[in-house]
Amino acid sequence: MSQFDRHSGCPFHRRTDRSQPALAQSDASTSAHPERRRFLKGAGLTGLGLGLGGIGLGGTCPARALAATGHGQDVTSAPQEQDSQLRYPFYGHHQQGIVTPRPATGMLVAFDVLARDRDDLERLLKILTERMAFLTQGGSIPERNPLFPPPDSGILGPVVAPDGLTMTLAVGDSLFDQRFGLAGARPKRLQRMEGFPNDALDAARCHGDLALQICANTLDTGYHALRDIIKNTPGLLMVRWKQEGTVPLLPPAPGDSDGSARNFLGFRDGSANPDGDDDALMDELVWVGGDHDEPAWARGGSYLAARIIRNFVERWDRTPLQEQEMIFGRRKMSGAPLSGDGTEGKEQDVPDYRRDPEGEITPLDAHIRLANPRTPATEKNRILRRPFNYSNGVEANGQLDMGLLFLCFQADLEAGFITVQHRLDGEPLEEYIKPVGGGYFFVLPGARDANDFLGSGLLAASA
Amino acid sequence: MKRTRQWIATGAFALLPLAPITALLAAPAAQAAVAPEALVGPVADYKLYVLDNLEQLVSHTRDFTAAIEAGDVEKAQALYAPTRVYYERIEPIAELFADLDASIDAREDDYEKGVEDPDFTGFHRLEYALFHDHSTDGMEKYAQGLMDDVNDLDSRVQGLTFPPETVVGGAAALMEEVAATKVSGEEDRYSRTDLWDFQGNVDGAREIFELFKPLAAQEDPDFVERVQANFDDVEETLADYRLDADDPSAGFESYDEVSDADRRALTGPVTVLAEDLSTLRGLLGLN
Repeated sequence: MSQFDRHSGCPFHRRTDRSQPALAQSDASTSAHPERRRFLKGAGLTGLGLGLGGIGLGGTCPARALAATGHGQDVTSAPQEQDSQLRYPFYGHHQQGIVTPRPATGMLVAFDVLARDRDDLERLLKILTERMAFLTQGGSIPERNPLFPPPDSGILGPVVAPDGLTMTLAVGDSLFDQRFGLAGARPKRLQRMEGFPNDALDAARCHGDLALQICANTLDTGYHALRDIIKNTPGLLMVRWKQEGTVPLLPPAPGDSDGSARNFLGFRDGSANPDGDDDALMDELVWVGGDHDEPAWARGGSYLAARIIRNFVERWDRTPLQEQEMIFGRRKMSGAPLSGDGTEGKEQDVPDYRRDPEGEITPLDAHIRLANPRTPATEKNRILRRPFNYSNGVEANGQLDMGLLFLCFQADLEAGFITVQHRLDGEPLEEYIKPVGGGYFFVLPGARDANDFLGSGLLAASA
Repeated sequence: MKRTRQWIATGAFALLPLAPITALLAAPAAQAAVAPEALVGPVADYKLYVLDNLEQLVSHTRDFTAAIEAGDVEKAQALYAPTRVYYERIEPIAELFADLDASIDAREDDYEKGVEDPDFTGFHRLEYALFHDHSTDGMEKYAQGLMDDVNDLDSRVQGLTFPPETVVGGAAALMEEVAATKVSGEEDRYSRTDLWDFQGNVDGAREIFELFKPLAAQEDPDFVERVQANFDDVEETLADYRLDADDPSAGFESYDEVSDADRRALTGPVTVLAEDLSTLRGLLGLN
């Protein structure tokens, strides 16, 4: 039992057995008091695994309790620890892997659906739900007569550890074509991703009928999960493209501030992300609800915008630091917004652009200023970013193929990513980046319990 | 092509699902049920099938290589795919001789220097000359080499004792071939005659399945029904691409004509067959 548990107002976090996900909705109203964050950081995060075990449930308590573990204020805070027994509940109103703190690795896998009719599609969704429920909770792999191929790849050994695995299933615009009769239930803002002016989209890395986000402490856990899915869905799914990535682990150190993990341009990525622990804010910005003008079945879901954004890192590394900072609008090391007077702030500081109308401190076309102008009118355009850094090998010119697997979630795709990206069109950063793939998807509402399956509402609504 | 849409509309060929894992785990432990002597008949029959196809391979290769030596590009092009079919059918056995498989059927990707690699020989080297260069210049030695290799294969197989596990496992191996290199259209990239090879692999896998079907049916009738239906499914799809429905020897449309959607439609039943047939050895209690 940890310091954290004694201080938590949430009864479901008093358990010591992490193998049992909390099953009840909590009405606890604990909030993340800053003083407790500090206290817990000092206490060495002993309760981290327990606290994390509750998130993703859909209740308010677990997410808040999580913030109190010192994990930080953001979904994108650098991951601090790799507990192989870390387990996130699978069932709930929302799917996991969105407001869940970002672990050290993540991948997005897009699939073409091979199922030929609605019955096959339903069978596919049930298999996916069943496998995701098992994989994210972990357990022993089944044994089989050794004359047969083993049912599990075995790459994690005889017992699959949950390892912080989250799996998040989303549907693409193409799933709503004539094949399955879903057109009438299409989420209103779901659409095929169109190229933006700086894009050089590679058709082989775009779109998909389904997308599965797989995040875990280690890539092996993600690969194990993916191979399990493939093994269990022959004839139903075909991988279309996949991109994995990582974010650097930042071990807790005395006096170290919470900070967003860095991207491959060396800047902290995720600063000023909306607070994933703030349920009201998430209901406004991330989760589709009754106010979002979407089909009723879609409530509890979210839009995912995925982008594979190549970074020209050699060129970036040959760019003066001052210019890099002007392009982003932040100091590189601290992540603080530019101050203009030589004082060094903090990553969490909020820039006041009203006092800098000419862009003398933060250029008007700086990345963070375009992305989030911090005006009342642009508050609704905020998105929850959850990106990973990728490295794919070497280009023919000898330059590294590195970049950002940009993933963001929002309740309104148009007000969110699409609006933000249009504001960024033409930004100076474009000289150093090139989006080459990705797609738009709608994250299905969660599966309520073991009798439900992901997409049940969609099928019922289009029956 | 119209095929996919028509399929979806009618649902006439509903893909038969794999048994869920739980059912697989509960499947009867088969190793004791099939007596080893019960395998003798089907294995002997399979050897006859292989020898028959080898005889055809030898004679077709003779015509094919003669056309190259005669400098008749058009005729050699026409004979390329129909000749290879016999090799594709018996690949599980042919592959037992790795040296010959490499010299007969390797692709340019198997060599670091690609087409320029001096070790790149056999069918695909000749395919490159016929369909890329549209020429037989300098190909005599490759033609002669292929003929020698095929004769060598024929004589080696005559004396070969067929291991039952190789024969039974061959069905799955052939479907793995299809899944890995046929659906993607990598196999015959210059001639685009991939569908011939595709059919050859399916023929070979189906032959094995049919020979062992009675034994498999004793162990798991549902399995047999499922595999049969998926084979039918694949063959129905392939038949759609035949140039003449009543004349199999007329062959297939170019793989370029197969749309992405249809490639995906082929992937489904092929993958299910690969998964299902991967259990055939276990079902018959073979190591």
